[in-house]
Amino acid sequence: MTLTSSIAIIVFAALIHASFQLSVSVLTLMSGHAIGKRARHAKLLRLMTGFTAGAGTMTMLLVAFAAYFLSSLYGARAPMILWAISCGVLVGVGVSVWKFYYRPGKGTSLWVPRGVAKYLHDRSKTTHQSAEAFSLGLSSVTAELLFVAAPMVVSALVLIQLSPSWQLLGIGIYTVISLLPLLIVGALIGGGHKLSQIQHWRESNKNFLQFVAGGGLLVLGAYIYVEEVITATVTAAGGR
Amino acid sequence: MTTTQTKAIDIVKRSGKRPTEPFNSDKLHHSVRAALLSVRSPEGEAEITAVAVTNAVILWLETKPEVTSHDLRRVASAHLKKFHPDAAYLYEQHRTII
Repeated sequence: MTLTSSIAIIVFAALIHASFQLSVSVLTLMSGHAIGKRARHAKLLRLMTGFTAGAGTMTMLLVAFAAYFLSSLYGARAPMILWAISCGVLVGVGVSVWKFYYRPGKGTSLWVPRGVAKYLHDRSKTTHQSAEAFSLGLSSVTAELLFVAAPMVVSALVLIQLSPSWQLLGIGIYTVISLLPLLIVGALIGGGHKLSQIQHWRESNKNFLQFVAGGGLLVLGAYIYVEEVITATVTAAGGR
Repeated sequence: MTTTQTKAIDIVKRSGKRPTEPFNSDKLHHSVRAALLSVRSPEGEAEITAVAVTNAVILWLETKPEVTSHDLRRVASAHLKKFHPDAAYLYEQHRTII
């Protein structure tokens, strides 16, 4: 795998991660409560920054942990069976996202365990300090792990093949891209846009976002299958 | 705040798992006001609208011994929509964002 295709896979996996909506929902709700309580603008910005930093930290830690774990087990080259399993998981999660990601009905309610959703809902209401917002950001990424684990693991499989400096850069690229929706929504809220407009856009486009996330996972799975399983098998057979 | 008082009415909570609780007009007023403020409505306007919506809901409750919290939110939202559709949308969506 060339450096360009490795970085392209990391960027694509991060874009898929970015299309998942739980963290954006929690940020919207937390901001709504803060504005509703007449929090000062500076405090609102601090809360949103804390939340985004928390989500970024957890994303970075999870990708780094997955890469470290895989490199400890397999060194710089993961076995083909692991690539094949990852492709299967990507396709499985992609189909599940198409089928289940949003709950039926109005709103942007997601298919996450209701206990977790209630916890995040309640915490977003009682978040007053930046440190609490930071923890909420950490929790929201963890709560979405069911969906984001697949692109994270694939990125980690790609990262272990790179040199240490590119590994660090790759983790950074993944984290920044995965945070783009939070940064955009944060900028919109900070810039004075109404939450109702943001939520209305999210609700109107939820089927599109669901299609993009699921489709992205399927495309990534298919690409990696061709690149890492079929091509490697054909190359090995040709070399005999 | 100048909402009118009402007789004791039980509010059946969502999914019926939590125990019912008596209707609290202050709680309703506070939630409507918060929804208005969260769409950046001016404080005075938010206060006046919240009182008007709370009073309209109290009037609707007059003939009912108990209502569900879902119905309460639906009716409050319908009244709020007349004053501020954006706030009503957010008020209605509150439970279905996550």
